[in-house]
Amino acid sequence: MAHCGSDLAEESLEGAGRQIINPRADTNFAILRKGTHANKIHQHLEQFFNLTFHLAALGGLRGVAMPPLIPSPAAARSSSIIIRTSPGAARWVAQPLQLQSQVPVVASFSTTASRPKFTKARRLFREWEKTTGRMFRRPTTGQPQYLTMREGEDVSLQPFPLNPQFKSPKVLDEKARELIWGKVMRDGETIKAVSAEFGVDIRRVAAIVRLKEVEKDWIAKNKPLAKPYAQAVLSMLPTFRINPNQSNSPFEPINELHVHPYTMQQLFWPTAESRRFTREDAAKAFHPTLLSPDKRVPHPELIEMEREVAQDRPLWDASERFKQAVMESERKVAEKQVAKAVREEKLTTRVNTNRFEFRFKQFNSENVGPKGRSRSAVGWRYGAPYDDRSKGHQIKIPTSVP
Amino acid sequence: MKPRRFHGLKRPKLRQSWNKYNLYNLAKTKDPRIASQDQFTFFQQKWRAKGMLRTYHGEHIVERKWERMFSRRLLSVANMDTRSMARSDGSELAAGRGSGRDQRPSWDRERVEPRVMTPYMQMTFAPMERRLDIAVFRAMFASSARQARQFCVHGAVKVNGKVVPYPAYRLNPGDMFQVDPDRVLYATGMPKSNSTKSKKSSSSAGEYEATEEAPEEDAETTTEEPQAEAAEAEQDPDTTDAPELAADLKPTRKQIQDLQAQAKSLLREEPLMKVTHKRRLRTFIKNVKPLLSLAGLPNASPTEIADKLSTLVAELDLGVGQDDKGSTEAVSSGPSASLSESERKMLAQRMEEEMREEEENPHDPSKPYVTPWRPRNYMAPFAFIPQYLEVNQNICSAVYLRHPVARRGAAEVPTPYSSEVNQLAFNWYLRRR
Amino acid sequence: MVVKIRLARFGRKNSPFYNIVVAHARTARNSKPLEVIGTYDPVPKPDPYDNSGRLHKDIKLDAIRARYWIGVGAQPTDTLGIMEPKYRNTAPRTSPTLPREALPQQNP
Repeated sequence: MAHCGSDLAEESLEGAGRQIINPRADTNFAILRKGTHANKIHQHLEQFFNLTFHLAALGGLRGVAMPPLIPSPAAARSSSIIIRTSPGAARWVAQPLQLQSQVPVVASFSTTASRPKFTKARRLFREWEKTTGRMFRRPTTGQPQYLTMREGEDVSLQPFPLNPQFKSPKVLDEKARELIWGKVMRDGETIKAVSAEFGVDIRRVAAIVRLKEVEKDWIAKNKPLAKPYAQAVLSMLPTFRINPNQSNSPFEPINELHVHPYTMQQLFWPTAESRRFTREDAAKAFHPTLLSPDKRVPHPELIEMEREVAQDRPLWDASERFKQAVMESERKVAEKQVAKAVREEKLTTRVNTNRFEFRFKQFNSENVGPKGRSRSAVGWRYGAPYDDRSKGHQIKIPTSVP
Repeated sequence: MKPRRFHGLKRPKLRQSWNKYNLYNLAKTKDPRIASQDQFTFFQQKWRAKGMLRTYHGEHIVERKWERMFSRRLLSVANMDTRSMARSDGSELAAGRGSGRDQRPSWDRERVEPRVMTPYMQMTFAPMERRLDIAVFRAMFASSARQARQFCVHGAVKVNGKVVPYPAYRLNPGDMFQVDPDRVLYATGMPKSNSTKSKKSSSSAGEYEATEEAPEEDAETTTEEPQAEAAEAEQDPDTTDAPELAADLKPTRKQIQDLQAQAKSLLREEPLMKVTHKRRLRTFIKNVKPLLSLAGLPNASPTEIADKLSTLVAELDLGVGQDDKGSTEAVSSGPSASLSESERKMLAQRMEEEMREEEENPHDPSKPYVTPWRPRNYMAPFAFIPQYLEVNQNICSAVYLRHPVARRGAAEVPTPYSSEVNQLAFNWYLRRR
Repeated sequence: MVVKIRLARFGRKNSPFYNIVVAHARTARNSKPLEVIGTYDPVPKPDPYDNSGRLHKDIKLDAIRARYWIGVGAQPTDTLGIMEPKYRNTAPRTSPTLPREALPQQNP
């Protein structure tokens, strides 16, 4: 019975695909009925349907449409026999047999235990989650909890177990920040003086003041602060406290010198033995324009103060002089900025119209270099390609926000 | 190709994220010892090292972009001691044979201090730290670098007061970046347990497993510890529901639905609720249902619905309200008589503190995180803020002070592997490919 | 031949940018001029932290050279004619016939 319909079934299986067996095939079939060609197909389909119904009666529709990927042992045995006899017919003859043998669903032949629910990796993870991992789930102590933490040990500050060279740095706590803000904004001390007093980097002091100002602005505008978040995060981090009434240990090294690329080479520089070869000379040896470290460090005034202390000037006097010097240097920087702004303003002429403001900027158009196409010359140059669109030179996102 | 798991257990990869799977992988990863293995060629060693590091450092950035970013110039600083600089002008270092007067190390000393080197190689991925999205992650405003990137793209990050939607924006020293506090609270807070998700987890372990590994979500669907925080008075329906009803007497379908949802969420979120309360809530939910269909009809009279609803709520009210009042009275009147002056003051102070806390961290069901806000699980082991950032958590803003640098014994770039692995990766990128 | 002070369009599509040039009237717009004496960016821009909505346009101009060229008979085109008086009205004007050497040198 299966044999007689085999070629037919094969064709329709390949052509029309499995959706014909789909219960929804009735509708498809209704549409196909139109036209003579469709009629033929309809006959074809009808025959096929008859066949499939018979097979379905034998052993279930699913078995015919899609033979299981892994045949049961009985099926495998029988098919192997048939393959030996006649490979062409094997597929179709094998199926009824296979269908009969497929009736028990449970694989009773298997002696191996069923697969565990979780893989080993997952099981280990769950174990860890319940034992060691439990410690890290919620922050219990008000202290940092890093993976390198051991029982009965004080706080470890190494977040990455494999990288001992990275330690979680301390952060200034809320009170310290408030104190620094007060010193700068309320007491009017210079940033450098506050930096030297508490051992906090100059840039950090400036940043703290800037951020605090924004915070005060938010409070004034009744904008909600993320207080619970701040509290939680600061309890997880190692914090540094500054006591306002006594001398504190420095928060970080403040007089760090940037290692300039000029100084990264090794030099052979013969000098006379009788000569004092100082830092100044060394800097000159590296590059004629390189300044000595005494001038390049962020706190040159601090070195001056130490020098004065070494020359038996009382500490209070030296520190007063240091404050004066710092004030002076900050005033100079401010003056420089003001002078620059004034110069800019002097060169521009503003002409207001009701729509726009025209800003005329005076400049020297003859500054174009010897060949007339210097890069610094104003305007688009003639005969010099503009590489604003060439790969690698194009700037798609801004490089700075003013 | 089959998409690889972001936090896989089979082939573990360390990521810039606060996920618990990542924490486990971080805890279990052993030193790869690439450099000390003979069977690999130098090329293979470099290849493996850079692969391991790139899974952590900006894996969402395409390799070519990173190659362009990479710089062989490693920044470092030297700490200049002011006192010694004041004492001498450096000529003693040039004395003798030109490299400082010879000083033999005294080997008979008990302990010879080992030389501390500057871990320059740990700075391989320093240019990556300049990126806006990575900096947002480092400042602890997002729970992963990818989330930080999303915040940038969605316009929640400002640089110097301007919205910068480019995660690849490279911060300049002195730039201040701000993230919308609501986003930060969402990213770092306990996620709200999704009702469908929790259903799944309880119904079958297999499904649970499938959801568990989803990359970005925190898979924190396991049973929450019952939270005993007593925000009950404020969460009770009598305080939250009744004023709403008083305000307008024409409840729309939507409002009724909201009420129902609120009751349901109460049932779900409050494991320590009394049985009687629970029962009342359930009957309330059941009785509201016909009202809902009634409100949907076009010819329904609003007054009738309002009446029915108000009676329902009143029933609910009476029970809970009385109970609460009774208990609070018992607490306030009973022991207060026996309290001394100072104790009463203490009590008042504590009350004030609690009220302030309540104000700062209120219960607000409209938020996308659990309120009152709590930090998410497994956050503490990932908590660190590198030195090149100065963060003010209150306003969710930070300043990028300077580029990360290496100094004696420490490098500022947070990287999970040792300097040997970083060195190999650095060598890989020395050659432009 | 007539010498004109006029604009030469550079920039890209939809983002114009002009050089203010001194050129012979019959030469092509973007051909090499006698001299470039300035630039004009016609796209109005706001100041970085100004919320008033007021926009400005940037013009760079070597006024000394402009005065010189006008003094020797160069004719500004209409567009520049609109721009020039606005500038000249506000700035105190020295005698246009003075040679360049006599004027104080200004750094760019």
